[in-house]
Amino acid sequence: MKLHKSLANILIYIVITIIAVIVLIPFVWTLSTALKADADIFAWPPQIIPKPAHWENFSKAWNAMPFNKYLSNTIFIVVLGMIAEITSETLVAYGFARFNFPGRDIIFFVLLSTMMLPFHVTLIPTYLIWNKFGLVGEFDPLILRAWTAWGPFYIFLLRQFFMSIPIELDDAAEIDGASPMDTFYRIMLPQIKPALLAVGVFAFKGYWNDFLGPLIYLTDMNKYTMTLGMYFFMGGVNEAPKWNYLMAISIIIAVPTVVLFFLAQRYFIEGITFTGLKEG
Amino acid sequence: MERFIGPFERWLITPVVLIAIAIMLYKLLRKIGWRQRQATGLALISPWLVGFIIFTAFPLIYSFYLSFTDYSLFGSPKWIGLSNYIYLFVNDIEFWPSIRLTLLYAAFSVPIGVIGSLLMALLLNRQIKGIGIYRTIYYLPAVIPDAAVALLWRWLFNSESGLLNYILAPLLDIIGVGKPDWFGDPRFVLPAFIIMSVWGIFGTNTVVFLAGLQGVPRSLYEVAEIDGASVWAKFWHITVPQISPVILLQVIMGMIGALQIFTVAMFVRPTSAAGKFMNQLVYERGFTQLHMGEASAVAWVLFAIIFALTLLIFRSTPAWVYYEGEVKR
Repeated sequence: MKLHKSLANILIYIVITIIAVIVLIPFVWTLSTALKADADIFAWPPQIIPKPAHWENFSKAWNAMPFNKYLSNTIFIVVLGMIAEITSETLVAYGFARFNFPGRDIIFFVLLSTMMLPFHVTLIPTYLIWNKFGLVGEFDPLILRAWTAWGPFYIFLLRQFFMSIPIELDDAAEIDGASPMDTFYRIMLPQIKPALLAVGVFAFKGYWNDFLGPLIYLTDMNKYTMTLGMYFFMGGVNEAPKWNYLMAISIIIAVPTVVLFFLAQRYFIEGITFTGLKEG
Repeated sequence: MERFIGPFERWLITPVVLIAIAIMLYKLLRKIGWRQRQATGLALISPWLVGFIIFTAFPLIYSFYLSFTDYSLFGSPKWIGLSNYIYLFVNDIEFWPSIRLTLLYAAFSVPIGVIGSLLMALLLNRQIKGIGIYRTIYYLPAVIPDAAVALLWRWLFNSESGLLNYILAPLLDIIGVGKPDWFGDPRFVLPAFIIMSVWGIFGTNTVVFLAGLQGVPRSLYEVAEIDGASVWAKFWHITVPQISPVILLQVIMGMIGALQIFTVAMFVRPTSAAGKFMNQLVYERGFTQLHMGEASAVAWVLFAIIFALTLLIFRSTPAWVYYEGEVKR
């Protein structure tokens, strides 16, 4: 029995290692391409280890377009969007989790069903609204809506966390004369820190990666984001992209999300797990 | 720096306006006799309600109206009845191929994604040394931005020097296709996107399944073992029913996501000969050709498809989804 079990374990190690290698190959290939000289990119058979490694490709790619400017634009959007989104969604989720008011369950059902609504259906009228306000071409369409708690999934996640806090805590606070907002600050917020972190990481990734929004609303080159800059860095439809530079930019753009994920890994996964289970 | 000032000011004013609305709503509700906690609740969710009315409900109705009009951003929308839909269904040469590509992509990628990530979760759901490192590696693909993932695959699939054509060379030679131009050839664009979607097996879906598996009570397996159940019987009669709500969630979210594929497709940039996904068609018609009415019609067809499929899946749930009994607070 014991031998049987360790044999099975060895087999599992072999399988999961092979899969891990398959997962890692594309990353290795990306890095390898990013370090290649122009002439070696199209070498056949492909070289995995570039000789010599052209680390300067990273700075060359970065300076080939005003990526400094794009980075500051992106940071502006990410920071303001995250602050607005986390604040509003936490309050809305608190409202749904802890207060009973007429129509609450119907409204919450409507909120959940908006997850099914394709983004592209409301895209054109939304564009027309911002156009009416004369804000197409500004950052506003990308950051103002965040104040209206526009992520139904995050509201759901936060609500689940609120609901896992014993209601007796609220009741005790209320007896002591605390207002609902006092209870929110002093009792609720400290308890849902992991959820806030999870939503924070999700939201960061969302704003950092957003492509459709910037593509439609940002018309001025000075206001492009990283992702949009990378899109135009690919060149025209019939142009062959400079793969080494593109891979270098891809790596740069991926670094913040990867680092953030590793730092917040525990909360991030806890957040997914929590909803994944409760949602079912 | 100048470019940030205006948006930042408006960003500061927006919450002030929303709070004012919430306070007014609270006072109004109190006046008509709502209790304090009731009024507080609705006031708290009012920012969402405001956003919903302005940016979801109104646009939804308006885009439906627009789909019956001819509108190019200049002038005002002109009512043309069903013309947009008739044009799309009868005359448009890109419409049916894009529906076909989008639906087939979902039909293949969703089952592959759900079954694949379940298998991954089963593989990772054990207490052995170093499993944490593997879980981290398996999660890595989910952390990389879509745009970067798309570019990476476009390069892997490169006809002349892509790694994939190199690795698959023996296989491709047997079929007799040489070095396919994956994103430039209508025969290969679907397989290419399906292969890319396998990447989605890793990441969030696996984590959710892993959590689902860990929630299955051990006692069920122990009882089955006493009865001498095989590994397969345990999987089929205990694991699958127990995690069927998670499977349902994955199927629905996976389908909605797959049908809305956009960013990846834009960065991979299949040639127009190879085909377009429906959302790409919406973007192109609306924002490059300024045919807002036609774009809205395409978007509504996509919405109808998603709605119908979601309903269909929910209708089928009594047959295969097992609930332990609703947990209510």
